[in-house]
Amino acid sequence: MQDLIAEAGKCINCGFCESVCPTLPAADFVSSKGARGRVDIAKFLYRYDEIDPSPSFYSCVDCYACLSVCPAGVNAGKVSEIGRMILAKNGKAPEIAKMIVEFTMRFRNPLGVRERCADWASGMEFGSMETLFYTGNMYQLMAYLRKFGKIRRIFGHYDESLASFMRRHPSFTVMFRDLYDRDMMERMNRYLRNIVELLRRNGIDFGYLGKEEPYPGTFIYDLGFEREFREYAEYVSEIFRSHGVRRIITIDPHTYEILKYIYPKYVDFEFEVVYYMDLIETVKVPDRYAVHAPCHFSRYFDFNGYVSKVFDVNIEENPTRCCGGPDELLFPEISDRISLRRFEELKSSGLPIVTACPICYANLAKDDSVIDISEVLLRSSGSR
Amino acid sequence: MGFIEEVRTFLGDYVITRKEDLIPYMNDASYFTGEMPDAVLLPGSAEDVQRIMRLAYKYEVPVVVKGGGSSLTGSSILKGHGVVISMLRMNRIIDVNLNDKCVIVEPGVRLDDLERFLDGYGHFYPPDPASSRSATVGGSISTNAGGLRGVAYGVTKDWVLGLDVVLADGTLVKFGNRTLKRSAGYDMTALMIGSEGTLGVITKAYLKIWPKPERIARILAFFRTIDDAGKAISEIKEHTIPEMAEFMDKISLDSVPEAITYPDGTNYALIVDASGPVETLQRRKDQIESILKRYAIETWSTTDEKEMNRIYLARKGLYASILRLRKNENEYIVIGDIVVPVSELPSTLKEIEKARDGDGVRSALFGHIGDGNIHANIFADLSDEEAMARVNRFMMDMAMIAVKHGGSVSAEHGIGIEKRKLLIEEMRYNDNMRTLDLMKSIKHLFDPKNILNRGNIFEQDAGSDS
Repeated sequence: MQDLIAEAGKCINCGFCESVCPTLPAADFVSSKGARGRVDIAKFLYRYDEIDPSPSFYSCVDCYACLSVCPAGVNAGKVSEIGRMILAKNGKAPEIAKMIVEFTMRFRNPLGVRERCADWASGMEFGSMETLFYTGNMYQLMAYLRKFGKIRRIFGHYDESLASFMRRHPSFTVMFRDLYDRDMMERMNRYLRNIVELLRRNGIDFGYLGKEEPYPGTFIYDLGFEREFREYAEYVSEIFRSHGVRRIITIDPHTYEILKYIYPKYVDFEFEVVYYMDLIETVKVPDRYAVHAPCHFSRYFDFNGYVSKVFDVNIEENPTRCCGGPDELLFPEISDRISLRRFEELKSSGLPIVTACPICYANLAKDDSVIDISEVLLRSSGSR
Repeated sequence: MGFIEEVRTFLGDYVITRKEDLIPYMNDASYFTGEMPDAVLLPGSAEDVQRIMRLAYKYEVPVVVKGGGSSLTGSSILKGHGVVISMLRMNRIIDVNLNDKCVIVEPGVRLDDLERFLDGYGHFYPPDPASSRSATVGGSISTNAGGLRGVAYGVTKDWVLGLDVVLADGTLVKFGNRTLKRSAGYDMTALMIGSEGTLGVITKAYLKIWPKPERIARILAFFRTIDDAGKAISEIKEHTIPEMAEFMDKISLDSVPEAITYPDGTNYALIVDASGPVETLQRRKDQIESILKRYAIETWSTTDEKEMNRIYLARKGLYASILRLRKNENEYIVIGDIVVPVSELPSTLKEIEKARDGDGVRSALFGHIGDGNIHANIFADLSDEEAMARVNRFMMDMAMIAVKHGGSVSAEHGIGIEKRKLLIEEMRYNDNMRTLDLMKSIKHLFDPKNILNRGNIFEQDAGSDS
């Protein structure tokens, strides 16, 4: 609670954060679901015992757009993050959040589809585990989430009672195994194979855990379940250790972030974590794209600088624009509105759209003009 | 059925009553905290506003209208029980007409969004308060907001052609329209500007727009004394109107070291813009710079867009940058906002500095020197009663210095609840209490039940039947 008060206490309430917060317009301008409102609620938590700040903190998409404009250096995203940890610790997280965490702890994958997540590599040969190609199941899971989204749009919300039911009957997750969007799965599998090909063209030898590969636990951390996250991170670290892994090649921004920056805060994590784009050589191709910079990646990496060396790109003033992905399960309507708005912004350029994160891709791929960056990198790499 | 239930029949989920959703509406950008509203209403149209106000009038429910919540004087928070009407859903840019030099917008459009939109047409809407990122058109009209361009373009009142307004009883009235001039009885549009939500709810604004200046040159000048800076700006204004003329003291300069570095001996700086077509820009810049050189330790100028923008953003973000100099995170920034005739600036600034030192407060001084507007960003620890008493004493001293120099206690932030006492003192000093009475009479005429932003500008009972 002290951390929460310290972060929120710096706020001068100027409202700049609110003007860039993607969830505020997506939530019909209800202030509690915008950056300033979240900080305000944090400031007043001590005064009102009976309030439920869960929708406010859990609807934050952690894009940190707020931080990029805050004159007082307040990170409203961090406020939400701390707020979620307090709620989770006190058992006040939403049922859906609890369900996701329990499934992940139990199945080492949020949907219990870990083994299916290795299908893309069927028939492929891999090398030494000293360098590990780690998908974190992220690309693969998007095909399932796309299907869930379609079902929700037909039948309405997955509500808290459904989540409660699923928590009581986790074996029902068996029905998830074939509940994926086939077209999305094909595209995701192709992108995974693109990345493998890119690394191989650059002479990199690596292993892959296949059906044993666990999800990295990003949801557990993002939903505020610190104790469970520590336990889970220990488990994942031990898997890496038991296979003699020394270096981990990550291929999506969320997995890179959690392994590189969060794991070491919670567990002994002696592994070198790298991003695949850092390992491949490219030459500039004569194409022009509208690029959606992944907000999590832009915190650590000059993404726009990187891609502008690969192709011509529309550089935007504010790199932290969310695709809506993080709200997909808990606040699907907010997620839909953010992603639609972002898609329309990108589409207005008249250019094909490039994403560099499977979550961004799944949320923004509303037509065939959207591709994963690995498609372009492959052309860039191949044209040497 | 009560007020909230009746509103819910047509506004549905846009009626907010959950306590956790109401909390954010207890604050604006001032250091005041208001009451928790009974409900927050989010209308999507003028018709929604009309229906809300008819019911508020019927049930005598106090109403506060809120835009971007960037008020620095507490003018958009509740001072008792009642409801908040948030205008953020009404954020459409309805029409722009370059022949008429007019853009028609809803009140919830944020000023920076409008700026970006008009930029696409090579035009701009000049009022540019430092809060333009969050401030809305409706809110800035309600406080007659100014900004950095005030010296050349004036303030909000100079750029509003007409307004659609919903009155306290729900009647929709149209004050002015899209014509650039009119002389048809009282100027009701002007009356609404700066009325801080006490007379009606703005539902549409017809704003005058202007072509962007073709070219700008930005000059920085550094001074040893306030007299030198004051004389320089007075002389410039004798000969020309600069595009912008801003003043910063040393504390202000120290808060933006990455944007502005200054030579030894500097205590004050001016940022002055010259503008014009390519053919005349150099001459105008030279004219201004030659005057500045006579008084300054050093001057420096640029026409590089990136460099100019860096300086502009540093100045515009000064309120925020000064936060870096807080001694601890309990310190808030209380902002003084006075105005005097430009010719009175040097002596006014000297007296304010003396009062600041005498009152024992820490404060940066800066402002729109071209139009006589001085801001004091005062570091204020809200948890320290004694320190707050000193802050309040300095606010009063500063206000009265302005009044004695023929100025006013509020230049561009309005009165809100913060300056109610200062407003009375200004009127009293000028033997002008009748004006205050007229204001209260107007309030009563517009809002006989005193339901609109009750307690703002005047104490709670102003304009009521009691």
